[in-house]
Order: sequence, then C-alpha cells, then structure tokens
Amino acid sequence: MQFFGGSSVAEIAPSPAAPPGTATGLAGNNANMLYIFNRSGVCLLYREWHRPLHTLDPQQDQKLMFGLLFSLRSFTAKMDPTSVDKGNLGVPLLPGQGCSFYSFRTNTYKLSFMECPSGIKIILVTHPKTGDMREPLRYIYNIYVEYVIKNPLYVHGSPIKCELFNTNLDQYVKTLV
Amino acid sequence: MAPLAPRTGDAVFANVERVNAELFTLTYGAIVRQLLTDLEEVEEVNKQLDQMGYNIGVRLIDEFLAKSNVSRCIDFRETADVIAKVGFKMFLGVTASVTNWDPEGTSCSLVLEDNPLVDFVELPDTCQGLYYCNILSGVIRGALEMVSMKTEVTWVRDMLHGDDACELRVKLLKQVPEEYPYKDDD
Amino acid sequence: MGREVAESCVDGVVMEMVSAYCNRFYSSQPELAARRIEAIGFQVGHQLSERYTMERPRFTDHLEAIKFICKDFWSELFKKQIDNLKTNHRGTFVLQDNQFRWLTRISIDASPDNVDASPQDDSLPAPNNAAQFTSMHLYFPCGIIRGALTNLGIPCAVSADISNLPACSFVVRIKA
Repeated sequence: MQFFGGSSVAEIAPSPAAPPGTATGLAGNNANMLYIFNRSGVCLLYREWHRPLHTLDPQQDQKLMFGLLFSLRSFTAKMDPTSVDKGNLGVPLLPGQGCSFYSFRTNTYKLSFMECPSGIKIILVTHPKTGDMREPLRYIYNIYVEYVIKNPLYVHGSPIKCELFNTNLDQYVKTLV
Repeated sequence: MAPLAPRTGDAVFANVERVNAELFTLTYGAIVRQLLTDLEEVEEVNKQLDQMGYNIGVRLIDEFLAKSNVSRCIDFRETADVIAKVGFKMFLGVTASVTNWDPEGTSCSLVLEDNPLVDFVELPDTCQGLYYCNILSGVIRGALEMVSMKTEVTWVRDMLHGDDACELRVKLLKQVPEEYPYKDDD
Repeated sequence: MGREVAESCVDGVVMEMVSAYCNRFYSSQPELAARRIEAIGFQVGHQLSERYTMERPRFTDHLEAIKFICKDFWSELFKKQIDNLKTNHRGTFVLQDNQFRWLTRISIDASPDNVDASPQDDSLPAPNNAAQFTSMHLYFPCGIIRGALTNLGIPCAVSADISNLPACSFVVRIKA
C-alpha cells in the first residue's frame, strides 16, 4: 500500500538548520502552523504564523501532511513492542485502537498531533524546543468546539472561516512555550 | 505526562454552561407542536425529529469529547456506558442505566427514568404514533456514527405512552474504521 | 435554582430548528420559514411568562411589564438583564443586550487572509447569506418577547437590530 503520491518523506525536513530568527524558544512566536483535518481527510483549517519556506502548493502540502500522520499512526501501532494485537500495516484502526503517537521532533521543528475519536485531527508545528503540546492541543480542540461547532453559521464539515475562532487561536498560540 | 483521565458526568456537568431546563423543555415542545402543524403526518414528524437529532449529534460529539476527555471508543459496551453515565449527564443533567445486553454485546437498552424533555408534556389522543423524544435517538445515532459506529436506535418504552420509563434500544450494526481518504497517486 | 440542562441543549435544538425550517422545509420561502420560527418563539415566550408571573400581581402599565421582561424574564433565560432600555413614550421600546448570548459565537466575516487555503468556498454562506441567516436566528428570540408580552396582555410587534454584534437591540412596538 502506498501512502504518498510518489514523493518521499525526506521533503518534509527542507533545510538542515532553522533559518535565523525562525522562532526564539520564548513565548510569542513559537508556533509555525496548524492544520485541522476531519475524518474524511478534508483540511478544515490551515493557519500559518511563521513559515518562510513553502515548497508545495497548499493542497499538496495538506495532503502530504495528512498522509504522513495517517502512516505514522499505522507504523507506530505496528511497531509497538508492548501490544499483542498489532493489526495489519495499512489497515485502518478504530478510534483509540493501538498506541497513539503524539509528537516528533526534527532539528528545525516539532510536530504535535492529536486525534479525537470523532476523527478530528489537529496538527501543530512549533519551534523544536517547545514543551509537551498535548494540553495546548486539547485547548485548541476546545476553541474549535466553542467557535466553530457552536457557530450557527458554520456548515459541518466545510472549511473553517470563523473570525472569532481565528482571533482566539492566534491569541492562544502566542502563549505557547 | 500521562493523558488526562476521562472526567465523570457530574464533574463535566458542573463545569459546562447551564440554562434553566424549562427553556429547553418548552422550546422542544414548541418545535414538536409546530412540526405537527406543518408536516401533518405523525410519521413524518418522527422522521424529521430523528433527522434533526442526527444533525445535532454529529456536532455534539466533538463538544462531548472535548469536555469529557474521553479518548477511545473501541468497545461497544464501554461506549454505551459512557453515553449513559457521562453523555446524558453532561447535557441533560440526568443519568441513564444500561441494561438488557444481548449475548454478543452488540445491543443494549438505555433507560431514562427521569427525562427533562417530557416535563409538563401530555400527548393528545391524536398523537398516539408520535415518538415525542425521537430527537434523542437521532442524537445518539449521529454521535456514534462520528466515532465509527453505525447503529440503529429504536424506542421500547415511552413515559408519554404510559410506561414507567423511557427505554431506547441501541444496536451496533457495524464498526467502520476510517479509511485513507485519498486515492493513491492522485 | 430549579432544574438545569447544558446550554448546548438549547443552542443545539434552536440551531437545528432554524436550519431545518430555512434549508429543508421552506428553503424557497424564507418569509414562511421566518413566520414559523417566530411562532415557535411566541409559544415558548407565552408559556414562560405564564410560569414566571403566576405568583405576581398584574402589571399596572406597559412600562412595568417591559421592565419585567428586561429584568426577571431575561435573567431566567440568560442569567443577565437587558443592559439598556429606551422608549419614545409613544409605545416603542428598545431593549438592548450588549452581549446577547445567542449571538456570541457567530462570526459573520471571513478573514481575508484565509481565502487561499480552501477551494470549496461555495459551501459556506456568503457574507450576505450569513447576515440573512443570522436574522433568521433572531426570529426566535423576537417571538419569545412577543409571546411573553402578549401573555401579559400587551399585543405588540418585535424586531431585532444587530448592526453591532454581539450586541442586539430588540425593538418592541406596542399596538394601540
């Protein structure tokens, strides 16, 4: 089974070191970008705060990100040394089945991931020195519930265009360390 | 850091924004009454209430998950328990009991002895076929579908038809894991 | 304090009721949808004011009844009072709620910097539709106020003005 449209995983780490001034490790601008996907793989939101380098068009970029996470989840569950029930590689897992992967770090960025049983996936890319992002991801999920799900004008499953959500999200990510 | 433990129904209910239950009960009652006027057929009203519930459930599931910290839904038994103890409590302020499991563990009853939807409600004789609370079965079906469980939800007992409690039968039809949504190479 | 349910229960059924009437039952007849949504609100307001005034003496004049709506009635529903009450002394009253609970989560404007990322724009209400859809939501509280006042013996017409969200002004015109 092939997860990526022919291109390689290596493209994800584009440069050997963080460009100068990328992020400081201090509160204020540690967040690079955020993706929210739903259970059908629709990118509900892509929000960017600091991303000097774009290598792909937005749709490709989103698909690659989704594919990366989908595969990682499958691989990490397959390699789990503590679990007897491994399933087959590439066979979709049920919500909460298998171990759950939540972050990886490269020399230039850290990616944190949360998947809800409803299939909502939140991916936050931050400075490599930021701490455990699981709590912040839950907080972002709550902002999503408050300003997207409860917005009477929001059509469920459509891309998010809610100003109140964006404002609250922007404010919140400034506090991440 | 260990993941957060799921919260109890009481704890979640204490923390959500709450409103006067009369507003809810009367609003729901007024909607059902208006639907009966506009749609005429009781059958059609049942269908629309179920559809409305389904649409609500599809949204409500995320609020439920976000506020309860529930992070897994694999086992149907556990899921039914969570709906009864946390789900009902968190939204309606009441707890349901889970009974009458079939031997396979794929269908059970949710029993509500106290249901804020039916406070002050009496059905006229013309509404005998009405499942007044049909919105509830839609909500459960919609919410469970979002966590990969296809279910069928039917009414067994209804306080408005003279029973001592509301009983919903929930049957798991199949579990549908999330497929990789894109075609290879496209 | 009496029995309570989560606020999401009310928000959820109201949101879905409005969308069912506007998008499914009367999708091509917005005036009819509006009238039905208002009628549901009327029913709710009528019954609620009946309950909340059971143990009270009758109101002696219009202003007293309107003040009851602004204070006691509004507090029962939204846990706060109307922030500002104005009248022209000729039967028109303007009730302003600076943070109307049912509008606090509505964002009408799409932020312009967000447009490039998503190709499926047409699935969303355009700003105009958004405003129209928001006003559909307001027929419900307008109906509640009209129902409550009618129950107190004051026939009236109620409309809403949302020119500065999330503040909302309800305009009550008492019928002579």
